[in-house]
Amino acid sequence: MTKDELKEYVSTHFDGKLTPLDTGRYDPMFQVKVEDLLEVARALKADKNLQFDFLCNLAGVDTKEHFEAVYSIASISKNLRLDFKLILPYDKAEVESVQEVWPGINWYEREMWELYGINVLNHDNLKRFLLPDDWDQGYPMRKDWDAPDFKRMPEF
Amino acid sequence: MVELPTEEFVVNMGPQHPATHGVARLILTLDGEKIVKIEPVIGYLHRAIEKVCENRTYAQCIPIIDRFEYVTAMSCNYAFSLAAEKLAGIEVPERAEYLRVIMLELNRIASHLLFYGVTAMDIGAVTPFLYGLRERELIVDLFEMTCGQRLTYSYNRIGGVSRDIPKEFIPQTHEAIKIIGAKLSDYEGLLNENPIWLARTRGIGVLPKETAIAYGVSGPVLRASGVQYDIRRNDPYSIYDRFDFDIPVRYHGDCYDRYLLRLDEIRQSIRIITQALDGLPGGEIRAKVSPNFKPPPGEVYSRIENSRGEMGIYLVSDGTKKPLRVKARGSSYNHFEVLPQFGTNLLVADIVAIFATLDIIVPEIDR
Repeated sequence: MTKDELKEYVSTHFDGKLTPLDTGRYDPMFQVKVEDLLEVARALKADKNLQFDFLCNLAGVDTKEHFEAVYSIASISKNLRLDFKLILPYDKAEVESVQEVWPGINWYEREMWELYGINVLNHDNLKRFLLPDDWDQGYPMRKDWDAPDFKRMPEF
Repeated sequence: MVELPTEEFVVNMGPQHPATHGVARLILTLDGEKIVKIEPVIGYLHRAIEKVCENRTYAQCIPIIDRFEYVTAMSCNYAFSLAAEKLAGIEVPERAEYLRVIMLELNRIASHLLFYGVTAMDIGAVTPFLYGLRERELIVDLFEMTCGQRLTYSYNRIGGVSRDIPKEFIPQTHEAIKIIGAKLSDYEGLLNENPIWLARTRGIGVLPKETAIAYGVSGPVLRASGVQYDIRRNDPYSIYDRFDFDIPVRYHGDCYDRYLLRLDEIRQSIRIITQALDGLPGGEIRAKVSPNFKPPPGEVYSRIENSRGEMGIYLVSDGTKKPLRVKARGSSYNHFEVLPQFGTNLLVADIVAIFATLDIIVPEIDR
């Protein structure tokens, strides 16, 4: 399946729950509604022609307008790759955990929760692990966060 | 006979422990000498590389990404450059692609040689460490000759490489890979049939295929569990589709197979380097890229196969000269995460063997 065929296949199947975006220059990129996440994840893994069984990456993004959670997945048996993202407003930043589909996402979700403050529902072990245990200075990866002793480099 | 009551106790391994290759920590719950539960703890080396990169221009990110995984720093530079090139649609000159492949594969060999030495030393054999480092030095000299650095190279730049190779490079590389190729049989002679080595590694720490895939395990660890998946072949980048090489695969998924697989990979890397040196074209080594280069808005997740597994860079541009988001995905992150799934019900000493053969690099986990 080529990248164009994959894009076509994914946009026409799954009841239109994955909307193609043109921001991905290399692999197909889709947008998924937050409430559809778990259903879409299960369907992508279970689909006979896709079998997305491998989680490459989960990245939180702060675009200064809203948060995004970007899932990069791959299929080992069918040799495919795609990305999909959720758009999360600042005032309701929470996603459902997809550990039951890709168990390896556990630490990625934990990291996103810790550094961005995006809440992960039904996660089995939401504890700090990158920051110190007694950290109380907010979410460092957010764009509006500056370290107390941080000096911004002069623009050039 | 009277059953003596026993109770579980907790042992803290690390963060300062010679076998953890950095500052990783394991909380082991033991029943006698059997491990009942493993809890990995990370974060002792968190340097916020991703946040630092958001405040730098694309070119300034490269030396910082070097520190992400310093044992194969070439691949980190390369992964970042590749992501930026994909975002901006930059065509890289042919000669630069060849030089990159040569450097990436040399770096893979250097990393596997270090693995060979360190793993054997963790398990208790000191001689292989000296052998591994002796041959690694040949490669490090080549890097030093080319870019002046021995560990963090910053050699791959956006659009090409930082400088051309000196004229002694090609004969010296031929010489180095010839020596390494010949010494591989020495390495195997030392360990492959050594009864102590076999007792410590064969059948120890079996990672089943299904667990490996579910937990995002990649690279030599995945291939030692019987999955023939290599990004160089399955999702080719650079010019890897032009070379003739095999993807070694082994099926037991134990420490012994993970060790053997890496020696197999050294042989394949030597094949790639030989072909690349023969086919090395002349010409430019770098596309013209402004230091204040601004890729158009967009995002890309680009991944490469480095010596530990899948190294990915997720890069978001908002059209300014600084990246909006840089997310580095290191394979050690997943390898450390999966450890509790298959490391239990073994002796404490075995956890050292497993840890060593997973080839975990802690800065890659913590970033």
